[in-house]
Amino acid sequence: MSGARPTGRRAAARGPKGPWIAAFLIVAADAYLCARNPRDLDRLLINSMLALSAFATLHLRMLSLASAGFAAVGAYSSAILAAKLGWPVYLSIPAAALMCGAVALVIGLPVLRLKDVYLAICTLGFGEVVRVSIILLPDLTGGSTGANLSTGFGYETMKQTRTWALGLTLAVLCYLFWSASRSKTGRALRAIRENPEAAEAMGIDVVAGRNFAFLVSALIAGLAGAFYAHSVGSLENGDFRFSRAVDILGYAVLGGSGAWFGPVLGAGFLTALPILLRDGLGSSLGFLKDFAQLPNILSGLALMLVIILAPGGLASAFPRLPERRRTQTRGPRPEGAAPAPSPAAGPKGKVLLSLKGLGRSFGGVEALADLSFDIEEGGTYGLIGPNGAGKTTLINLVSGFIPPSYGKIEWLGREIQGRGACRVARAGIARTYQDIRLFGEMSVLENVVAGRHIRLRSSLPAAWLRLPSERREEADASEESMDLLDRLGLPGLADREAGQLSYGDRRRVEIARALALEPRLLMLDEPAAGMNERETAALGDFIVDLKRQGVALLVVEHHMDLIMEVCDEIIVLNFGRKIAQGAPPEVARDEAVLEAYLGRD
Amino acid sequence: MDMSLLADPVFLAQNLVDGLSRGALYGVFATGFTLIFGVLDILNLAHAATFMWCAFAGWLVMAKGGLPLPAGLAAAMAAGSAIALVLEFLAFRPLRRERARADKLGSMISSIGASLIMVSVAEAVFGVQTRRFPGSVLNPKPFFIGGPGGVRISRAQILILAASIILMAVLGLFIRKTRMGKAIRAVAASRKAAMLLGIDVNSVIVITFLVGGALAGAAGILVALLTNDIVPGMGGQIELRGLAVVILGGMGSMEGAVLSGFLLGLVETFTIAYLPDGSDIKDAIAFLILFLILLLKPDGILGRGKAERV
Repeated sequence: MSGARPTGRRAAARGPKGPWIAAFLIVAADAYLCARNPRDLDRLLINSMLALSAFATLHLRMLSLASAGFAAVGAYSSAILAAKLGWPVYLSIPAAALMCGAVALVIGLPVLRLKDVYLAICTLGFGEVVRVSIILLPDLTGGSTGANLSTGFGYETMKQTRTWALGLTLAVLCYLFWSASRSKTGRALRAIRENPEAAEAMGIDVVAGRNFAFLVSALIAGLAGAFYAHSVGSLENGDFRFSRAVDILGYAVLGGSGAWFGPVLGAGFLTALPILLRDGLGSSLGFLKDFAQLPNILSGLALMLVIILAPGGLASAFPRLPERRRTQTRGPRPEGAAPAPSPAAGPKGKVLLSLKGLGRSFGGVEALADLSFDIEEGGTYGLIGPNGAGKTTLINLVSGFIPPSYGKIEWLGREIQGRGACRVARAGIARTYQDIRLFGEMSVLENVVAGRHIRLRSSLPAAWLRLPSERREEADASEESMDLLDRLGLPGLADREAGQLSYGDRRRVEIARALALEPRLLMLDEPAAGMNERETAALGDFIVDLKRQGVALLVVEHHMDLIMEVCDEIIVLNFGRKIAQGAPPEVARDEAVLEAYLGRD
Repeated sequence: MDMSLLADPVFLAQNLVDGLSRGALYGVFATGFTLIFGVLDILNLAHAATFMWCAFAGWLVMAKGGLPLPAGLAAAMAAGSAIALVLEFLAFRPLRRERARADKLGSMISSIGASLIMVSVAEAVFGVQTRRFPGSVLNPKPFFIGGPGGVRISRAQILILAASIILMAVLGLFIRKTRMGKAIRAVAASRKAAMLLGIDVNSVIVITFLVGGALAGAAGILVALLTNDIVPGMGGQIELRGLAVVILGGMGSMEGAVLSGFLLGLVETFTIAYLPDGSDIKDAIAFLILFLILLLKPDGILGRGKAERV
């Protein structure tokens, strides 16, 4: 195994020193500031927490501008609970966070199903509503006048322990993010980040993932806000104005949304920079001293420059560790542990998938009309037809990416049309794409392990607690995925970034990823496209190998040699209609097929 | 609610006039928003900051320069176009690559950054105190329809209604009748197809930004005349309303934006007039509409498929 192989990332080629020096400088600057003025330490810790809150959503490429709003809800809830209702301060803080979680669930309900732009708009609106509500509820909040809501109370109680509590909370949060990122959940979230459609086809629930991220973001923002309330001792409406939301976004963007530690560094940088600039340059350039807008301008500049010049942020400059593989926890693999080839390959008479009068039109164009056929267990089916015949539409329908206009899709006798791709994948149907959809910035091995998502049982808390069962399951998953890569002739590529492989290799990784799901039916959409003759032949052998294991296959392909060689049955589509079905030799002689392919004089 | 007010025709007509002129402004502002979205499929979150700078530009020309209103309007629109052009080159074009998904997120983020810079610079330059037009600019004597005690229409309101209607008509003709308008519609329908047909997509996008910026500029000076309250934070007030109007009208639909602009203006005005705490609730209406429309009909009232937009 090639644990020492260079990761192939650009950053690695440049040597990993730069980012470490940058990180060191940021930490040193923050340490200097905090030693000079302990109040800056509180601010730094709270900003780091807010950065994690922004990271939670941005990691999934969701632009949420709600962090400042949630921080406001957290701050006011905690302050009201403690000051007006007499709750102990340390109880009011988690309670306030939970309050934010509840609000997030309500807001997330309609919004997260919608596209990115809508989320940005709705969360922007949420921030505004929070601001207005604070003004409209002066009895509770002190209103717009900036009356000090909580002066004295929590500030005094927490004076001794506040910074410790904050630091401890942040440390726990960092640990949770770190361990989650190494777990099944973290991998699933990265998959959603890289390619939501492909993640869905792995049985990863994208909507649930987004909701989870939004909830986490709200909980953490609420915590940060609550700490802020008791750390400052008074609250004003302006504390949570829109520019705060942008600052918070700035931490996450500058730090990078690829890994959790990036935003923490980003917060460290953007918290320290304006103070250092003002105090350092301020003495020589007098006007900087009173330049109140400086932090905002720096945040804005950071956002623009980073997103345009280095969209991965600071985190992407660090070389990524290869996927952990604990081969030592397993004994040597017994020979023949791979699924035993069943003696008789080919259909076994049991119907897996049954299409009944299936049709789909796109705005008046009938892509697929009244299609019916069965797929039997262990059978290999070829789906052929001229371009635009509806082949990919059929795969999209069966895999649940689009609902049919009419007709039924039955899987083991149960209707599955309109159930969504995630549930179809969980039922045991896997697919590949004509335009390969790998998780480009994840390693090859990670791609394949992501394919095992639905077969892994360990929960997120198990990963947080680092239970031995979870660690063993992860080790087994990567071991099994390595075997799959071996079988597809891809050993040695495990730690490479998937997006950087050659075309043919990417196709094979995608097949490995689909197989990792242990499907009963695998749909391959032009698996040999872009492969040379030798590779195509190897693919044919591999498909025959799969047949022996009893996986049913539906293969869309233009290489007729391949189709004729491996398929038990061929279905021919033309203009969305089935024009022929039968064994390869029959279809090859079929009049209608010849006409569709060659035309008639 | 005071029921007697409902029956009073003058009161009703007064609110209608106020609501329509308020709504016209929302329409002008939102049309710029939705035009850029329709063509580029991205949200220009610096639109509100552009609007604010244009209000200041108009104020400088009129209050400081002592020039008449048409000059102020022209200056504001020119400033809007210029700012939008700078945004296109600094904040949007560098991010326009093949990968559409990363593209959208990135350009929203860079436009947020640009917006924060613009607002902060305005705060640094103009300070946070309110700027007002001198009394000579705004005719203190409004017109009354139906004699004294009738429906009051201020000069600013007449100007707003006239200017918005003319702007919308010109824009409609431009989009529908001119060659460039057709090119804009083609790019909105499919950038790739337009490119294959030999349309210079980048120049279409530049024109779109010029027009969108000019609309932000017009909205800026007109809102400034109506409220006579020019502050660096003024964009935030209209931004959310503009977004609500855009969503309500259907993302990318200009007719929808105009229509729902009037709708929001009327709803807000009547809420203030007929509900006891109306003016407090007013600010939340836009969000309420936004939330409900996202929940119930995310395509908006005139929302159609992408192919038929603009």
